[in-house]
Amino acid sequence: MISDRQPAAGTSSALPYTDAKPVGAADFYFAINTTFRFIEQKLGRDGLLRYWKDLGTRYFAPVTKSWVDGGLDAVAAYWRAFFDAEPDADVAVEHGPDRVTLTVRQCPAIYHLRRGGRDIVPDFCEHCYWVSDAIGKPAGLTVRIAGGNGSCRQDFLKAGTAPEQNLNLINRCS
Amino acid sequence: MIGSYDFCGHYEFTFEWLDAEGGIDMVRAYWLEAISLDSQRHARDLIVAEGIEGMKKYWTHTLDEEAAGYAFTSDNNRFRIDMHECPSKGFLIRNGLKQYPDYCDHCIGWIGPVMRDAGFVIDHDHDHCGKCWWEFRKMDDPSKPSNIGEFAGERDVRCSPEWNHGQIDSFQRAVDDTDKRPG
Repeated sequence: MISDRQPAAGTSSALPYTDAKPVGAADFYFAINTTFRFIEQKLGRDGLLRYWKDLGTRYFAPVTKSWVDGGLDAVAAYWRAFFDAEPDADVAVEHGPDRVTLTVRQCPAIYHLRRGGRDIVPDFCEHCYWVSDAIGKPAGLTVRIAGGNGSCRQDFLKAGTAPEQNLNLINRCS
Repeated sequence: MIGSYDFCGHYEFTFEWLDAEGGIDMVRAYWLEAISLDSQRHARDLIVAEGIEGMKKYWTHTLDEEAAGYAFTSDNNRFRIDMHECPSKGFLIRNGLKQYPDYCDHCIGWIGPVMRDAGFVIDHDHDHCGKCWWEFRKMDDPSKPSNIGEFAGERDVRCSPEWNHGQIDSFQRAVDDTDKRPG
């Protein structure tokens, strides 16, 4: 039979790439996780960091442009739209005077990887730092992350206003 | 964070990135090791254990989740998919993303090794415009793929007036992407 599922309305224009369906397919987290594992096995940690930074600067270039144009307002709008489109995400996005704070109560990726019984790449949560830092740099923004492995706090703020990211504050996944 | 909603976009970016790092051999290793053997092991387990019944279960779940427009046809010896609106290629087309020369090859790149290990071969055409068809039959079945409309009736994507609008690549009794006959 031909599926009778109709395309849903597009989601917020705060996202650079939009789909006909309102929420992503959770099985794709499996491939995100195994992509990290494959690149680390083939190219080492340096290769994996290069991949994450290239994703931030190249694939997510439209997000950078919106942050350059819109500053922290655009950062907040992006993450609200982003987590609205991720299955089973439980995330609060707060726009303060000098930062946007994401309080990730349930990370959708870690939730679905655990639910699927998958071995999670230990450094999985680090991708949030490296990708977001690369997106934000041309906009004069950076991110500081604490926590991980299912829940965390992410602060997006002006570059140079916070100490360097301490990677030991980002939990390894298990 | 990178997410599931625009997965097809960064998945395609990854093909191009790996090709730049290690050429097509690196891309093929990725489809085999990261996708076929690791990410999609739930599909592999079902299809290797249950054959055509496993194919029905896997693709019913995943194509509904991805909101695809598709049709299945099967008998005791064959399983056929007619993809009228590929959600994955459709995402790239709608968003103007084309970083890798043939995104469509990724499907047979991971499905081919699953079918080989399950004892099936693949006949497949894709048009690079979001339409394709697949027929899976057992390796020891020498029969040729069905003619247009013969097996799937009007659900056969080749009956669509839009079929042939794109460049059609073909695979015959294939088990990986190296067997392609470019259009």
